[in-house]
Amino acid sequence: METILYDYALPCLCAFLACVGFTLVFNIHGVGKLICGVGGALGWLVYLLAGSTIFAAFLAAAAIGTFSEVMSRVRRCPVTGYVLVALLPLVPGGGIYYAMSYCVAGDNQRFLDTLLHTFGVAAALAVGAMLASSLFRTVYAHLRPAVRRKPPQA
Amino acid sequence: MDYDKLLNIAAELGCQLMSCGAEIYRVEESMGRLLRAYDLASAEVFAIPNCIIVSLTTPEGHPITRMRRVAGHGTDIQRLERYNDLCRDLCARVPPLEEAQALLGAAEETPRYAPWQVLLGYGVAPAFFAPLFGGGVRDAASAFIAGLGVGVCLLYGGRFLGSNSFLRTVICSAVASLLSLLLVRLGLGRSVDIVTIGVLMVLVPGVALTNAMREIMAGDVFSGLSRTADAILVASAIALGSAAGLAIGRFF
Repeated sequence: METILYDYALPCLCAFLACVGFTLVFNIHGVGKLICGVGGALGWLVYLLAGSTIFAAFLAAAAIGTFSEVMSRVRRCPVTGYVLVALLPLVPGGGIYYAMSYCVAGDNQRFLDTLLHTFGVAAALAVGAMLASSLFRTVYAHLRPAVRRKPPQA
Repeated sequence: MDYDKLLNIAAELGCQLMSCGAEIYRVEESMGRLLRAYDLASAEVFAIPNCIIVSLTTPEGHPITRMRRVAGHGTDIQRLERYNDLCRDLCARVPPLEEAQALLGAAEETPRYAPWQVLLGYGVAPAFFAPLFGGGVRDAASAFIAGLGVGVCLLYGGRFLGSNSFLRTVICSAVASLLSLLLVRLGLGRSVDIVTIGVLMVLVPGVALTNAMREIMAGDVFSGLSRTADAILVASAIALGSAAGLAIGRFF
């Protein structure tokens, strides 16, 4: 019980609040704030559950991509803002920083390791969100005619 | 119909969408749909991150073209949603051009957060990022203060830092690492690394990276590559700036 609280619940709460903080910077109002926060928390939860590897970043980005696409369909809003904010906690800021500090310290081996890992995480995020979004759009385009078949309102 | 006016309205809509952070395909598609709604099936739109070209042929066979340069790129989701709704509305109703112009002008006044709220955002985000990277309560408090410092630089420093985003990022990350170092020396924070990373997360090129991948996904490879280059440039600016900040800090 305690491990669930400290290992999963608290980090996800932090990701949620950090994303809500970011919505102030990107001028997102109303329910959008909550959606961004939940997206960020969801992404971080998937990342933790999948083991905090590059593949975990891929899965987390895919989860965020799908969640944001669904939410943008529900609210009939551009998906841009939701994906943008929810992905931010996963962006490898730590990787950039550690790569820099190994580089300055002259530790070439660890510098290259960290640099490659950082590029890997960034690529995994991009490909994950891209793939989930594209798949969602393809599937949704097939579902939509069925949804829209109701008689149009005046 | 006054096609010059229609062209101006479409160009303005595209320009506004682009400047609040819309993807290329959204800009192109919104403008194309608007023009098609006014029965101009032959309209052509081309956009790259800082330029929009829109061209149409009037029913009399007279071609007209307009080019707009988009100067600043920000991220303003509220305005983006507003212009997106407006475009959808215009396409559905096809109102007279005067009304469309008035609606477009009115859309500029969207709610915005007060400067202190934005500043709070710059403080809160790092404060909650620090625990994600393994920091405690005291690291979070230091990240909050250092984040406020970076926020002040970003919000009010524009006049001194100029419009060069590379230089701005270098200076802001130098401020971030210097402030973190200072706060740890003062005994508030525990780990310089964690506090600095937390603060750097507000500068990290997440936006550029996300946009780049969305452009490539939509097939605008050219714009996607230019935004990828932007992301890499920002990342190196962060590395350079924080290294400089730490180096300066070591002297004291």
